[in-house]
Amino acid sequence: MPQVTIDGQVYEFEGRPKLLQFCLDHGIELPHFCYHPAMSIPANCRQCLVDVGNPVRDRATGELQLDDDGQPVIRFFPKLQTSCSQDITDGMVVKTKRTSEKVQRAQRDTLEFLLINHPLDCPICDQAGHCPLQIQAYKYGPEGSRFEFRKVHKPKKVKLGPRVVLDGERCINCTRCVRFTDEISKSHQLTIIQRGVSNYPMTPPGVTFDEPYSMNVIDLCPVGALTSADFRFQARIWEMSSTPSISTVNAKGSNCYYWVRDNLVLRVTPRPNLDVNEYWLADEDRLDYKRFNEDRPVGPQIRAAGVLIHVEWEQAYQRAAEILKSVDGGEILFLGSAYATVEDNYLLTKLAGALGGAVAGYLPHVEPGHGDGWLRTDDRTPNAQGCQRLGINPIDEAVVRARFEAGEIKAVYVLEDDPIGAGLFSQDDLEDIPVVLHYYNTTNATLAVADAALPAAMVVETVGTFVSEDGHAQRVVPAKAIRGVNRTLRMQMGMSRTDRHATPFDRWYNESHKIDCKPSWEALPAVAALAGHAMTYKGPRQIMQEVSKMPAFEGATYEAMGLHGVRLQDVAEEV
Amino acid sequence: MTESFYFTMEATNGTPQTKAGDWSNYQRVLLPPIRDLHKLEVYEENGGYKALREVLANSDWEPSKVTDEVKASGLKGRGGAGFPTGLKWSFMPPVDPDIPRFLCCNGDESEPGTFKDRQLMEYNPHLIFEGCLIANYAMSIKTCYIYVRGEFADWITHMERELAKAYDKGYVGENIMGTGFSTDIVIHKGAGAYICGEETSLMESLEGKRAYPRIKPPFPAQRGIWGYPTTINNVETLACAPIIINRGGKWYAGIGAETHPGPVLYGISGHVNKPGVYEYPTGMLITDLLEVAGGMRGGKKLKALVPGGCSVPVLRAEMIDGVTMDADSLRTVGSMMGTGGMLFLDEDTDMVSFLRRVTHFYHHESCGQCTPCREGTGWLENLVTRIDEGEGNLRDLDLLLDLCDQMEGRTVCALADAAAWPVRNTINRFRDEFEAKCKPAVFATGGEVEAVVD
Repeated sequence: MPQVTIDGQVYEFEGRPKLLQFCLDHGIELPHFCYHPAMSIPANCRQCLVDVGNPVRDRATGELQLDDDGQPVIRFFPKLQTSCSQDITDGMVVKTKRTSEKVQRAQRDTLEFLLINHPLDCPICDQAGHCPLQIQAYKYGPEGSRFEFRKVHKPKKVKLGPRVVLDGERCINCTRCVRFTDEISKSHQLTIIQRGVSNYPMTPPGVTFDEPYSMNVIDLCPVGALTSADFRFQARIWEMSSTPSISTVNAKGSNCYYWVRDNLVLRVTPRPNLDVNEYWLADEDRLDYKRFNEDRPVGPQIRAAGVLIHVEWEQAYQRAAEILKSVDGGEILFLGSAYATVEDNYLLTKLAGALGGAVAGYLPHVEPGHGDGWLRTDDRTPNAQGCQRLGINPIDEAVVRARFEAGEIKAVYVLEDDPIGAGLFSQDDLEDIPVVLHYYNTTNATLAVADAALPAAMVVETVGTFVSEDGHAQRVVPAKAIRGVNRTLRMQMGMSRTDRHATPFDRWYNESHKIDCKPSWEALPAVAALAGHAMTYKGPRQIMQEVSKMPAFEGATYEAMGLHGVRLQDVAEEV
Repeated sequence: MTESFYFTMEATNGTPQTKAGDWSNYQRVLLPPIRDLHKLEVYEENGGYKALREVLANSDWEPSKVTDEVKASGLKGRGGAGFPTGLKWSFMPPVDPDIPRFLCCNGDESEPGTFKDRQLMEYNPHLIFEGCLIANYAMSIKTCYIYVRGEFADWITHMERELAKAYDKGYVGENIMGTGFSTDIVIHKGAGAYICGEETSLMESLEGKRAYPRIKPPFPAQRGIWGYPTTINNVETLACAPIIINRGGKWYAGIGAETHPGPVLYGISGHVNKPGVYEYPTGMLITDLLEVAGGMRGGKKLKALVPGGCSVPVLRAEMIDGVTMDADSLRTVGSMMGTGGMLFLDEDTDMVSFLRRVTHFYHHESCGQCTPCREGTGWLENLVTRIDEGEGNLRDLDLLLDLCDQMEGRTVCALADAAAWPVRNTINRFRDEFEAKCKPAVFATGGEVEAVVD
């Protein structure tokens, strides 16, 4: 196998990898700004320079020339080479900054150049704390500056589009954003304008940067030049925890991080998963976070004398159980949910089965024409595929209406959805029928007729599994805490840097904004037990262990799903 | 060849030092003294398109033989880098009928002190066209782009008019002169940026993109315009092709300096009495060229010379004795032939101000793609300006040299080098002048101290 020597260590390689990517893959850190694995290589930042040499071969025979010690003679390129654009060839010898003072110097020089016109406003910059320029300047940059002139001024706080704000002065002209719109999203809404040191990215005349993927340039930007109109100046990076999870705005299952401070989700950023969303995230996934913070219920409620009153969880469970016991299982309309996890829907089928009924289906939330064949889908729910694999199909509205008109529905049990909001029933329809509702937000229209209203944990608060449109099963972990004690959730919680590094005496910990809700895999067994059908699951992991024995979920255990999920086998859909 | 307008040159080797032979009797071939030569009919009367007819009609002229003839002529590119033209042509991959290939004629002449191509475009455009057509034939190319600097608006209209005539007469286009060879020439107007003269950024610009130079490799011959094999030559280089065909590569190789032969257009400017474009063989003594240009204006003494466009290292007056205008001779004094745009500066010139203007140019023209050039060119200008205004410090000179180190050889294209060389060499060769303009590093002691000493 061909070999390359990097800093004296020999590595084997296959194919024709680029040097920078090869080093990154092998854990050798090489500083860089403009390089991105998914985009073309412009080699313009000049930060990843390395010293590259090739063995000298005899022109006529093609034999390696050997020196007195029998080692191949290496001829180095007269100039340093950019490792991002350098193909690796057999026998190549590479010196990075670790072994070459020349390379060290070049990288320090480039950083000096990058910083002379860069506003050193790190204390107020959103990028500070995870800024490649800041990190590399500390690690490899010069001390102090020899630049004694006025810095170049460029436009600041320019709204390129509804969601992205430009600070031209911070830009280091890596052109990642422009290449993203040219090569990845193909909207061509950004270009570099001006020339030389006045360069900065801008929209062409008459164009607004409003493509549905525009916010990806914010993550791509290696400095704070492109910031989110929404998140700008909201939080410092070290105050937030970031939890690997998935987005639930559509059926793509795009991987993301939820950034949380004081139990409020403040932003959503993409998490690379080459099997699902690669490096990208649609804007709709990012702007989805407000529903985790706003209009959340304040605790369980039951209807007494026509009005909802706040009660303890036990009382609410009791009311739900009473409703279930009061009618025949076959006369209860169990509605599954494409918003809820596989675990929750599975428990609902168990509960319905135990009561002698069955889950009627789930409410589809499909918006034809919304999908674009990339990261946005027509389906606006995250788990329709998971429901179908459990045998819960989209409800046939006509059938349900017919049953309702015939008086065959005596109670309604809704898992994390809104049948009135979806138009299945009107408020009058359900006025006289007992309704148990697991719900997320107080904007839920069914809440008005609920007899037992049980706040449910949302994706950022629960542990569970979602199956994307493409059959990719992925698990989520809680990004923020809920009120009440749940060991499973506590163990899986994301931590911020302060969580990890501070002591309890630092008073960084905040009890505020915790929602009094329960994951449905906790609420459903509680209701079931009171209804006389105890379930013996210890938690979602065990539920999924059982579900993964079904052919449609084969292999989808928590261990197997890990952080990147598993692709489930295609199964013939039951009609 | 009898009808040719070209005249035989007798090389007598009269003066011992010059490599240009009997240059005072040199007969011009690139810009011959013929009235209205830019008109097609005049060009035809004077043997125009004869070389093209020769290579197309005469079956002895295989395409590869044309390239061989250019190789034999020893022609080196006239755009500044001086790369052997025949060798460049031979880099084109073998012909594949499914893969288009292009020739590009680089007329984005914008280096300060260089204005020779414009003369060709104005006075002898058909020679350029004929050169392009011959090169197209030699490399089996169907399309030639002539990329002309945007500021040359008048010359673009002028050339377009002449090109249309050539199309009408069947010298360009389908089935040229009934030989079955077809090729097109397209004149493309640039938008006025120095960087577009760099071959890869020229291709980007031609494709309608922002003119950022590309990384090499791949070289244009592998992946050029729209990713297809491309050869790029300077206007003057291509204009030499018909002359080489008419006169033979051997004749061409015998003109001027042995290692850097051929007629060349010297664009002489600066403080001379008769600035202008002069055609002479290579290897002319610089002193002879100064004489040709009428000597220094106002009888002043020569102080410095920039021999080939503003990016090549400047020479002090005392360095030019016996130096001839060819790559080898100029290398011995640490400079280059460049584009042959010679700038003579007289004794009154402030070299700091001169350098300030040069650094301003590169600051203004850096495309901004690579960090060292984008940031470095501006810093250089800032520093030189400060020194020029009397506010500089002596340590600024060392910082300037340091910045040159930080820029050279670390960018995609050579603009950073082109910006750093004049700074490095002007400071090194005229350091006394720079130091004189800086603020003193040691201050004279005050009056009271003197009084005590007394």
